[in-house]
Amino acid sequence: MDPLAGMDESSTDDDNASQTTEDDPQVPEHGPAPPAPPPVDAPPQAQPAVPAREKPHYELRKTLNGHTMSISAVKFSPDGTLLASCGAETIVKIWSPFTGELIRNLTGHTAGLSDLSWSSDSVYLASASDDTLIQIWEVDTGLTHKTLKGHTKWVFCLNYNSTSTLLVSGSCDGDIKIWDARKGKCVKTLHAHLDYVTAVHFNRDSDLIVSCALDGLIRIWNTSNGQCLKTLAEDRNAICQQVQFSPNSKYILSTAHDSAIRLWDYKNHRCLKTYTGHTNTKYCISACFSVTGGKWIVGGSEDHKVYIWDLQTREIVQILQGHQDVVVAVATHPSQNMIATGSIDTDLSIKIWEDHRQGPQAQGSGST
Amino acid sequence: MNESLINPFNITHPTAVQASLFALGSFARFDPSGRFVGVGRFDGVATIWDLDTKSAVRWLDGHVKAVTSLDWSRHSRYVLTSSKDWNVIVWDLASICDPPQRHATIRCDAPVSSASFHPRNSRIVLTLLNTGEVYLIDLRKAPHRGRTELFEPEGDEDEGQGQSSRRYAMTVARFDPTGKFVFVGTSGGYILVFNSRSKTMIARHRISGGSGSLKGLDFAKNGRRLVTNSSDRTLRQFIVPRYLSSGEFLEQELEPTHRFNDPINKTAWHAVSYSPDGEWLAGGAADAAMHKIYIWDISNDGQFASTLDGGREPLAHLHWHPSKSSIASTTNQGNVLIWHSPNAERWGAFAGGFEEVDENVEYEEREDEFDIEDEAEILRRKKEAEQEEVDIDTIEGESQIHEPDEVNGSVIGGDEDTRWADEDADDDVVTWKMRIVMDDDI
Repeated sequence: MDPLAGMDESSTDDDNASQTTEDDPQVPEHGPAPPAPPPVDAPPQAQPAVPAREKPHYELRKTLNGHTMSISAVKFSPDGTLLASCGAETIVKIWSPFTGELIRNLTGHTAGLSDLSWSSDSVYLASASDDTLIQIWEVDTGLTHKTLKGHTKWVFCLNYNSTSTLLVSGSCDGDIKIWDARKGKCVKTLHAHLDYVTAVHFNRDSDLIVSCALDGLIRIWNTSNGQCLKTLAEDRNAICQQVQFSPNSKYILSTAHDSAIRLWDYKNHRCLKTYTGHTNTKYCISACFSVTGGKWIVGGSEDHKVYIWDLQTREIVQILQGHQDVVVAVATHPSQNMIATGSIDTDLSIKIWEDHRQGPQAQGSGST
Repeated sequence: MNESLINPFNITHPTAVQASLFALGSFARFDPSGRFVGVGRFDGVATIWDLDTKSAVRWLDGHVKAVTSLDWSRHSRYVLTSSKDWNVIVWDLASICDPPQRHATIRCDAPVSSASFHPRNSRIVLTLLNTGEVYLIDLRKAPHRGRTELFEPEGDEDEGQGQSSRRYAMTVARFDPTGKFVFVGTSGGYILVFNSRSKTMIARHRISGGSGSLKGLDFAKNGRRLVTNSSDRTLRQFIVPRYLSSGEFLEQELEPTHRFNDPINKTAWHAVSYSPDGEWLAGGAADAAMHKIYIWDISNDGQFASTLDGGREPLAHLHWHPSKSSIASTTNQGNVLIWHSPNAERWGAFAGGFEEVDENVEYEEREDEFDIEDEAEILRRKKEAEQEEVDIDTIEGESQIHEPDEVNGSVIGGDEDTRWADEDADDDVVTWKMRIVMDDDI
């Protein structure tokens, strides 16, 4: 209704200017069509009020085929040279994101895999499996370095801390375990939730852990003593399936089954941003921050697309189409404008998307 | 940064032992990031302990006699150890080999009682020798490189009294938190202040009332206050005077703002350390049978706050964590106790949107509490609230911790002493990483 109102009043200059700036956010929702829909007259006046925001231009670069069962996670190594992926088969695959070739298969698990995490030096990779084990692989040799035994049910999620001294993992019986990664021993078990723990993540200082579960709650834990510090809950139907701290650990990003991604100020228990427009009611779909170019939120969707939102304005700035099925796994490259996505059932491919247009300038801003 | 969430009632002092590290050390010091503890041992080895996993992560084996002191560079990459074997060794924790190789070795002419890095540049090292001499050793390139003794010039105005009595042995030497000055304590109870760039003495303070030989010195993080530990079993806190940049010599008697001692047992103090906010002072008592730490509340006019009892092993050393309410105290058996302030588990934290209150509160209904609001209006308001910009990747606090903007009354950044120290900087940057080592046994 607003766009129409805007059209009606297009005679008066001032009104028109303010109207168009307000309308702007709504336009992209109709499709991926590029910016500036209101005709020629608008831009000069609109610019001073709201500086024209840059938009991402991701394009499909590579399709990596090889998985034979649904993909559950894709992760770039912290140095950006490798991409690890896993799925319902028992193999971890290591790819080169630039050439798209399969570099190595890591075999050893006896059941499907749910999650992966790289150590900060990109040497080790931890994998969480339905065989109740976590394995730490030395990626160069493809050998298992450690096997962490302790969970009694399928391990669903895991993450290293920033110094890679600790691992945290969540299991389908609601337990969270904290491991000494060097020794491969469990140091603490938190009986954290009443249902599948679907995500666990350390903050930068690794003194906090955030977890979420199918019981619909997001909880924040003190790493050193295992105490629960806070519980966040949005709605009864907003079952949260993925949660992570922002790069500076001031906020947490959660995806939920009411087709919304939320950014929380966990200290004040306040939802700061809600990103909507995609479909997510059934699967555990991941979302992530993209900070290499502009500041985006990237998330998968059940309508087979990948959505990119502007962090601040919450508008959809790009939609990536290409997958044939639900996109459950997304990951952003640590230093370049690159996104990896993975899909399930009828698709089984990993797609690499790149935004070359912003490449050079993005790297400049990323390094500062 | 998350202290507020973990402990909503603001930082207090630690009250209980959280962990005991079997480290065989004679002292333990936190690093500036608070992730590690460096432990010096009698057998010449220094060990680096990771506090996340409470395990030793690096062995620095280089000395052949007891390690006497250990210091960290500002981003914890370099570790300096001094020893009774006349050597000071600088270690690089970012090195890819394990055990780490020495980065530099400084040979001195006598056993080294303590050594420390310049707070802004780890290539400038201050050493105190057993013989009571202090050297400032500059490991940087040509124009700076050198070894300069910091000595008290022979007094001219007191010639008559005989200068020999004024030349006391130096017993403690420390950089102030800005690194512009070196504070030296002497066996005669004087504090001498040197400019670290010009290496000249700019001030001499007699402690009012006399104190006996100085044993220790610690600065509050902002550099405005300093506490001394001396052989008369008293800790004294002083306000640090402002030193003029013109380099005029200042001869001044310092009047302590507070004196701390144990009136009953009259124990001496092994170590003293300020809390990160400077509001608490911890003193480690030299009690022969007990491990006791005294805490004073500086913000409350230096009132005695409490005694921490760490068991039967007497205390040898203590150090306060750089940002948290935590203390590392070393027993004379070599164990390192990590103290923390535990807080009772808040069960209310398990329920979303639930607040615990200390006592019963009469609930007052808000005027519009049960009004039926227009859903569209609520939605609109929510949308509006979400307009606010968020910042997801600037890391706050990093710069504040290491580089206080204003210290000792002068602004850092522009002046000559700072520029001098920053020249030919070391490669100790925030982003350095310690190589991840995995135990091999499976």
